[in-house]
Amino acid sequence: MQGVCATDKRGSKELGSEELVGWDEVMQGVVVNSFEGDATDIARQKAEERNYSEFSSYTATVASWRVIKPVYNRDICIDCQNCWVWCPDTSIVSRDKQMLGIDYDHCKGCQVCVEVCPTNPKSLLMFAEHEDLDKALAQWPQKEKKEK
Amino acid sequence: MAEKYDVQEVEVWDGNYAAAHALRQAQIDVVAAYPITPSTPIVENYGQFVANGYVDGEFVMVESEHAAMSGCVGAAAAGGRVATATSSQGFALMCEVLYQASGMRLPIVLNVVNRALASPLNVRGDHSDMYLGRDSGWIQLDAFNAQEAYDLNLCAFRIGEHLSVRLPVMVHQDGFVTSHTAQNVNPLKDEDAYAFVGDFVPHEEMLDFSRPVTYGAQTEEDWHFEHKAKQHKALMDSRAIIDEVFADFEKKTGRAYKRVESYMIEDAEVAIVALGTTVETCILAAKQLREEEGIKVGVVSPRCFRPFPFDKIREALENVNAICCLDRSSPGGAMGALFNEVSAALYSTQKRPLVTNYIYGLGGRDFSIAEAKRIMKEQKAHADAGYITTEIQQFSGLRGPKLGFFETKRR
Amino acid sequence: MAITSVKNLKEFSTANDRFEGAHLLCPGCAHSMIVRELMNCTDDNLVIAANTGCLEVSTAVYPYTSWDTSWIHIGFENAATAAAGAEAMYKARKRKGTLKDPDAPVKFVAFGGDGSTYDIGFQWLSGAVERGHDFTYICLDNEVYANTGGQRSSSTPIGSSTTTSPAGRISYGEKKMKKDMVTIMAAHGAPYVAQLAPNKWKIMAKGFQKALSTEGPCFINTVSACTTEWKFDSKDTIHLTDLATDSLVFPIYEIIDGQELNILYRPKNILPVRDYLGAQGRFRHLFKPENEHVLVEWQKRVDAHWERLQRREEARV
Repeated sequence: MQGVCATDKRGSKELGSEELVGWDEVMQGVVVNSFEGDATDIARQKAEERNYSEFSSYTATVASWRVIKPVYNRDICIDCQNCWVWCPDTSIVSRDKQMLGIDYDHCKGCQVCVEVCPTNPKSLLMFAEHEDLDKALAQWPQKEKKEK
Repeated sequence: MAEKYDVQEVEVWDGNYAAAHALRQAQIDVVAAYPITPSTPIVENYGQFVANGYVDGEFVMVESEHAAMSGCVGAAAAGGRVATATSSQGFALMCEVLYQASGMRLPIVLNVVNRALASPLNVRGDHSDMYLGRDSGWIQLDAFNAQEAYDLNLCAFRIGEHLSVRLPVMVHQDGFVTSHTAQNVNPLKDEDAYAFVGDFVPHEEMLDFSRPVTYGAQTEEDWHFEHKAKQHKALMDSRAIIDEVFADFEKKTGRAYKRVESYMIEDAEVAIVALGTTVETCILAAKQLREEEGIKVGVVSPRCFRPFPFDKIREALENVNAICCLDRSSPGGAMGALFNEVSAALYSTQKRPLVTNYIYGLGGRDFSIAEAKRIMKEQKAHADAGYITTEIQQFSGLRGPKLGFFETKRR
Repeated sequence: MAITSVKNLKEFSTANDRFEGAHLLCPGCAHSMIVRELMNCTDDNLVIAANTGCLEVSTAVYPYTSWDTSWIHIGFENAATAAAGAEAMYKARKRKGTLKDPDAPVKFVAFGGDGSTYDIGFQWLSGAVERGHDFTYICLDNEVYANTGGQRSSSTPIGSSTTTSPAGRISYGEKKMKKDMVTIMAAHGAPYVAQLAPNKWKIMAKGFQKALSTEGPCFINTVSACTTEWKFDSKDTIHLTDLATDSLVFPIYEIIDGQELNILYRPKNILPVRDYLGAQGRFRHLFKPENEHVLVEWQKRVDAHWERLQRREEARV
């Protein structure tokens, strides 16, 4: 699940790890291109179909910002897409109206997705960053009874 | 299609009208502008061309000079030919964006009709605004009359838009003396002018949707220095392209321009260095002095103020004994900029001529042939004595007690 | 205009994001929720300009860009003019036939924070709207200069403690109500002006689509809850925005052609303003007994504003 729709390029480098090239190699006018090659109709291509350039932040990761991570439980999810629309980090991977999982390269662990998840129990819960995903799923809580 | 304008072989145009015609002939895509004395007629005349169907591009009258240059930057990044005009306070207001335009390597042509900077408010010509732009990363070309204002505008597009340059270019002319004085101008026919300037070649344009592009990213201490160095290198290297474009222009028109213009310098023992309309005054003064008193005076002027022609200034002046640099801008607690830069260039010559500095003509104060001759004779006195006999910086044409600073330590 | 279906979230979620992750906005920042939604609600090409601010410094730090569209940042104040310049160039080149793909649909958008919209960029925005450029300006309104560490802007509301309007022994913080930017922009005669919020995602998406498909300059003020400067937990961004819209502190409405006002969201249960204020650290001091009068004043002003909006809606003028 961790590598859902990921490509080789997604989150492949830590911010600040890029090679510091000399003045003769920096981009003229500080201008950078988001893609390599022809990117016509990019809005109709899914991330995994695109040819991102090394300058796209898609190729960088902010995983190290996280201290807690959301874990996704497919068994409970109703594909409402609340998490998709409100994720501030483009980290909910949805394809063909289905929630597939979390892009852990770009998720910062803000927990908004968990808060807006309407299922009972929630289909997304926060765990410690180091927690194993299978173990997390094994600990999933039962349906809560509504208080009267 | 824009209508063709039938220009005569010789027109009587002032500098503003000449510049406006050059802009029209270059078939600019976007002019974003704001009026200010004395550059207003450039914009007004251009507006009249738009109203009469001589222009296909967009003419956007914005709410300030800052917005004028901002609009030019947005338009230039969208991949087309862009120009505007301003003066003085307007130039000062757009200063922030000047640096952004050059940092993004956008070829924009800015006509600067030179005028003093307040306070006190003054609409007349001096070079305060031109000097204010000197670290902004733009190429700065200086026209001494209306013909040159026309010619240099055509050259400016060619230079700035050259793929190995891609830098914005200012074309300077003196407020009123050039901008508002009708003179004979020999323009090119519309088709010849456009053929010289050529089609705009887009580079990293925001309107090429097959290649999304980000303009204006941030850089901190790990990248900023390299980007500024690359930009400086491009500006320094533009010297070769400027020479090339001037040579081509001469081939087309017979009118020769050089990064440093020299008059009667070959045998000169003293020289005067100046910018703008003062150059023509100095040429007349030098001729008269040569005839009347046999003093061999030469006149040198940086046609190209930026990139500063360190190389050509040195070549032109290294064999002269005494030189005065005329600065038409209040130096604000320093020596004049032209003095500093010319002196620096000459410091690495064998001869190290004597160099003095005159602050003159602020706020449009007239600079006469008689005053030019007086200054030249002072240089002759320095040359004869072998040292600077006056204060190094003096004010010329100023009422009240004589004002000057610093004496030489080299006798 | 090629619009993405926003009938329901399932449909909307088939949009392919053009705003990439690993930008540097704070966890839970509403800015990117708003930007993503704008970019996802159309398939058209976009030329986006941004003022200096949180969004800009977080999404284009060399050698990275988070933008999959053409994008430009010039300065703090001039994104509206950058977009206007690009739009003018588009018109000129379309007319002259020099565009690479003359039939490609394109929309021009400018983003600014409230500091650059209400304060330093106000003139540039006003000029670009007055001139009628075909673009949409979106203000990401978090009521503070967040990028520089939380100074007051003219969008900062009464009682808010900021670094330049701090609450202290003798001060309850900011003394003035925020500038009514929406009405000011409507007074320009802009064809479409609205105030929208990301918690009401469908209303916001439809508003964005309306603005993008309307010819001429459109202005949208969006509520952008700021975890850092409003001082709430990053997980609560949408909850905070719910409190903002349901207490009517941020009413959701549009004004068409400077005249026709439509309220787009009427909360079923209107919440007391103090519920909204109490959820944020920036207003904590208002709950001291000596500041009770500010809470009363707040509620009074929100009620009056809501009343005024309803009357305008009814009057159709």
